[in-house]
Amino acid sequence: MHALIIDDSRTMRIILRRILGDLGFTTAEAGDGQQALDAIAAGPVPDLCLVDWNMPVMDGYTFVQRVRANAEHRNITLMMVTTESSHGHVVKALAAGAHEYVIKPFTPEAITEKLELLGLVRNGVPA
Amino acid sequence: MNALHTVTTPEAEDVLAMAGEVWATFLGEEPLLPAGPAEQAPGWSAAVTVTGAWPGMVVIELSTAAAHAVATRMLGTPQADEADTTDAVGELVNIVGGNVKSLMPEPSVLSLPVVTTGRIAVPTGQVEVVRLDLEWLGEPVALRVHAHDDSTEGGIR
Repeated sequence: MHALIIDDSRTMRIILRRILGDLGFTTAEAGDGQQALDAIAAGPVPDLCLVDWNMPVMDGYTFVQRVRANAEHRNITLMMVTTESSHGHVVKALAAGAHEYVIKPFTPEAITEKLELLGLVRNGVPA
Repeated sequence: MNALHTVTTPEAEDVLAMAGEVWATFLGEEPLLPAGPAEQAPGWSAAVTVTGAWPGMVVIELSTAAAHAVATRMLGTPQADEADTTDAVGELVNIVGGNVKSLMPEPSVLSLPVVTTGRIAVPTGQVEVVRLDLEWLGEPVALRVHAHDDSTEGGIR
């Protein structure tokens, strides 16, 4: 199972890389939505994207819209991981095609639980 | 009318509880403790601004030792250089600022973080509405929330 971590903070990418690595995911990273689109185009296409909202160049919401507009990428699971916690942001992201929404700060257990709900992790390893 | 009457403010206890949760989640078991004002200027400062229904600014000030500890703990490395510290402290204020924003009227937009050594400049028109002088690992940490004051000319909105 391959994941793309999209966050402008290298610190947050490292934290998420550690969590996903412990769960057995291979990971790649991107610092903004455009870099992430470029990474997906170059391959490999990830099974999962963890997406920050506020980023320079292209924000996470726009990234979600762009991925969902491409039928070839319909199998990519999109999970927002962001400080944006308002009901409006959550609704907007889910309506755009995000599957799950995690608000920072989060624990590794919270990420694992969301991935289990999405069917990507079972008993602590990729499903 | 008193200028502060026009400013919406978060509760200091709520800000402290939220900051404590952020610290506990990413920085380990040592708690943020109440303390007196730092005797020296901060080694590092970081800020995010909020625009929209609640215009304001959230600032974290740390000693150099505390800033480096933030970086090493978040990154899980024994040492942190300036770039590491800038990124880690920036992400910390991003998370704290985003959670302060969630306590306030919506809709609002959070800026990308600004990080600097020394003290960060606060724009004219912002008044300090919450100041938490704290200690972490024996080092000074201050958390300040500024809100736009409608009665002050020349400020940001």
